[in-house]
Amino acid sequence: MNKVLIDLAALFVGVVLAFIVQDALPPMADFYSAHVLLVPMVFCFAAMVLPFPVMLVGAFYTGFLSDLTYMHVVGGRVEIPLGSSIVYFVIFGSIANGFQPAMKSRNVWPFVVLSGVCTSGYLFLQFLIITIQRGGFLWENAVSWRILAPGLMAALIAPLFYWTLSQMDRLIPDGSRKMRLIKR
Amino acid sequence: MNRLNIALVVAVVAVATYFSTISPSAVQSMHSGFMSWMSPFLRTGSAMQENLGSVGRRLQTLDELEVENKKLSVENRELRAENNLLTELEEENSRLRMALDFRERSSFKLMPARIISRDSTTWWNTIRINRGFEDGVEADMPVVTDLGIVGKTTTVSKNEAIVVLITDETCRIAAKIEGTREQGIITGLRIQETAAEGLLQMNFLSKSAKLAPAQQVLTAGVAQGSFPPGLVIGRIKEFRLRALDGQAIVEPTVNLATLEDVFVLVGKK
Repeated sequence: MNKVLIDLAALFVGVVLAFIVQDALPPMADFYSAHVLLVPMVFCFAAMVLPFPVMLVGAFYTGFLSDLTYMHVVGGRVEIPLGSSIVYFVIFGSIANGFQPAMKSRNVWPFVVLSGVCTSGYLFLQFLIITIQRGGFLWENAVSWRILAPGLMAALIAPLFYWTLSQMDRLIPDGSRKMRLIKR
Repeated sequence: MNRLNIALVVAVVAVATYFSTISPSAVQSMHSGFMSWMSPFLRTGSAMQENLGSVGRRLQTLDELEVENKKLSVENRELRAENNLLTELEEENSRLRMALDFRERSSFKLMPARIISRDSTTWWNTIRINRGFEDGVEADMPVVTDLGIVGKTTTVSKNEAIVVLITDETCRIAAKIEGTREQGIITGLRIQETAAEGLLQMNFLSKSAKLAPAQQVLTAGVAQGSFPPGLVIGRIKEFRLRALDGQAIVEPTVNLATLEDVFVLVGKK
């Protein structure tokens, strides 16, 4: 139980750190000013290692902070309703949670693919909501790149993120790692 | 998936649905609180960059000169912006002879602000400035420079405010074309190739409008609007005829990509 709480606390801190880092990163000029998004990748990792009920808590937290971060209120109108990201992360987290066996067997590929899909899927959802709110459907190269490029970047960063967390896990001197090894 | 998990999913989705029904003003308050909470963390990166720039006592004099220069530069821009606004108002006053409105629109109080972050989202053209409600900034206040309009404030926290740029589709401004009676609504384009350097579209112009490139576009200053009349928005680049109306493509006079200092129009003097 303590281990789960530590992991959940790590997710809470990790999501905030990811928001700070991605805010500091400049947009990618060569990809129509697409942004590097780290939060969906961090959540994806958590969803693949946490038990289902705890993953739901993480999805709620990540979705709530994401909605507050990307809130756009002009003229008394909210473009993306508060709560939509929570639903997205719950759905995506439920799918990612099913890939736990792959994570336990140290197979990094499902995490890499899901990180990319989760990131691009999140941007696509935002684009769809904006399109519905404003009316008219516009699809240009800029839209494609702004959705796909962050997903590709997330997929590229994901192995490094996985490796970094694995190294950090080794440094933990307590019994949590031993417990996990016994479970495996 | 067992019943407990299904019940938990339903509970979380129900709470999320409830959130979506919260009023925009309450949501904006939450956003403001979140911004205030995150502000110290988000500012850490830029503060570190600034600290790395100073290289000790030997360069102290240069630093002081730089600070003074920046201060004077801001002051100069403020005066130029103020002068621009006053000139516009004077012209309008003489044209319309609205003596009663003179006092109301005679001058504005400008709050200098620095851009602390730009292009932080994918779908909206916004910037963050280092002024919040503690400085008297409120939502829907115009943000200008000496060259023209930058945008308007949306969510305002304690020490920061988000400014939606004129190049964003959600920033709508009633505008008129100088030297004509043509009026329309200016908005940004939904998809800008780069977030900061964008073009604007002015819709609902008459099809018979005789417009030439480089004509100046100014705010019309409609009742209940955020912007006072006579502020420069941009210059016409192109005029197109559509099925029901005319559309002008407008180039903003302010270079939003290189902008560093802006002024919030916080009220009248």
